[in-house]
Amino acid sequence: MFRKVLIANRGEIALRINRACHELGIATVAIFSDADRQSLHVRHADEAFCVGPGPVARSYLNIPNIISAALISGCDAIHPGYGFLAENARFAEIAADHGLTFIGPKPSVIAAMGDKATAKRIMREAGVPTTPGSDIVASADEALAVAHQIGFPVLLKATAGGGGKGMRAVAAAADLPTAFATAQAEAEASFKDGRMYVEKLLVNPRHIEVQVIADEHGGAAHLGERDCSVQKPSHQKLIEEASAPALDPELRDRLHAVAVKATRAVGYTNAGTLEFLVSGDEFYFMEMNTRIQVEHPVTELIYGVDLVKEQIRIAAGEPLGFTQEDLHPHGHAIEVRVNAEDPDNNFSPAAGTLTTVVFPGGPGIRVDTHVYGGAVVPPFYDSLLAKIVAVGRSRESAILRMERALGETRIEGVKTTVEFCREVLANEEFRAGGIGVGWLPAFLARRAAVVS
Amino acid sequence: MTDDVIATRARALAGALAESGFARLRVRDGETEIELRRAPRIGPAAVVLAPAALAGEPDRAAERPADRAELVSSDVVGIVRLMRPAIAEGQELEGDREVAYVETLGIRNPVRSRGRGRVSAVFVTDGQPVEYGQPLFSIER
Repeated sequence: MFRKVLIANRGEIALRINRACHELGIATVAIFSDADRQSLHVRHADEAFCVGPGPVARSYLNIPNIISAALISGCDAIHPGYGFLAENARFAEIAADHGLTFIGPKPSVIAAMGDKATAKRIMREAGVPTTPGSDIVASADEALAVAHQIGFPVLLKATAGGGGKGMRAVAAAADLPTAFATAQAEAEASFKDGRMYVEKLLVNPRHIEVQVIADEHGGAAHLGERDCSVQKPSHQKLIEEASAPALDPELRDRLHAVAVKATRAVGYTNAGTLEFLVSGDEFYFMEMNTRIQVEHPVTELIYGVDLVKEQIRIAAGEPLGFTQEDLHPHGHAIEVRVNAEDPDNNFSPAAGTLTTVVFPGGPGIRVDTHVYGGAVVPPFYDSLLAKIVAVGRSRESAILRMERALGETRIEGVKTTVEFCREVLANEEFRAGGIGVGWLPAFLARRAAVVS
Repeated sequence: MTDDVIATRARALAGALAESGFARLRVRDGETEIELRRAPRIGPAAVVLAPAALAGEPDRAAERPADRAELVSSDVVGIVRLMRPAIAEGQELEGDREVAYVETLGIRNPVRSRGRGRVSAVFVTDGQPVEYGQPLFSIER
């Protein structure tokens, strides 16, 4: 086992990793920026190094300073958390070159899964369903042939596209030629590249992801799925649940089986997540996240597994402490992201001083946070202030418990998502379960219409 | 206040400034005003200490080179190596020379004296690990 681990992150996840290390008897080294000098993750760690000024490019992404801090302090491993350098294959390689164990999968696997086209191809070859579509099509006629084959609606996409440019949704064959011409012209004008391809358009799919874990000795297992369909218009997750409500048991089994098969096929080690879009009784691979995820606590609460400790044990070369047969979910868990954002203003992030901070407690509530009364929210980083997680015997009891917990929560000084999330929890469609990723944007539009 | 008292107080304030996250800190005490500013982080960082008589014109006084002491800080995380002859308190520096370097992953990041001055304090010893923004020396200009 490691003696000392450098935590290459900040915020709640840095604290989460610090806790896991201390429970395993491992000393910790924090890194921080000038703006985070007073942060809780710095105080909880055994040692701490300032690695740069506030802006992330010069601090939390400053590879030489981070590796140097790990070497100076005598660390034997680095935990990257999520975001920042967590899915940076080069960072993982550099760490290894300096004799530091990167707590995550192999750099080659990080790189392969980081490239969307490569990941999709590898998964398709491994027998994982991917969104039906074509390679580059030469003409509108060819696009039409593909569309007939995969079925409408379809998405015409410029291979060089981005920001919605060179992209058109097409509902029926009659609309395709015009849409193809305008999208292609737009792509040529914007990117000087008019190459187009066709993809099946999924209407309001659900975002369901499967947590997997694998050791370096061939052991691999899934820890069920999470439903992350409550997403802001920017596609950022806001509320997550485990298990997914209103999911056909047969479809659930297929998702789990495919995820484990894919994990083995790509030679994956450590904790990872396969994200799928679910539409009707079909599912399609979207991407694989080669790190611990923000929403991992909902899985931990129903499976009774400490995923961060498992990550550390696996990186240290230990085999999984369980097999698939040992893993059984109990109850239902739900997570609400408390962000320093204004839900009435497109979730624009806010910075400032938190004048009042009161978090909930009591049975079945877990709060992962790095903030406290008087803490400053710097403008440089992610707006996540806290994750409030509720667990109950059923989805209904978990939701009731979460409503109670959000009622106890008081955060003043910046606008937060707390009250907005209470509105979502109270909504009948949300309560019914099984909503798609289009639900929250539609809810926001209806809400704005009522307000005005 | 004597120069020594000012230097000691300025050193303490430099720590407070570093912790505060503010770009500038000004403290008035009777006739004396100490102003510290965070220098832009290009090359080794420097914080300007400017004792200035309140009765006079503080801004102009602050610009007088003879009254300035510069705090030279590390811009990287690494091991500090003092060049020989090792920089020492009270030493007069004749011109710009490499007084130390901070080694980060085998790369030498030079720390230069950047002109004449008198070394008023040395905060580190040879071979010591330093973090970003950690004061190394102060030099009176």
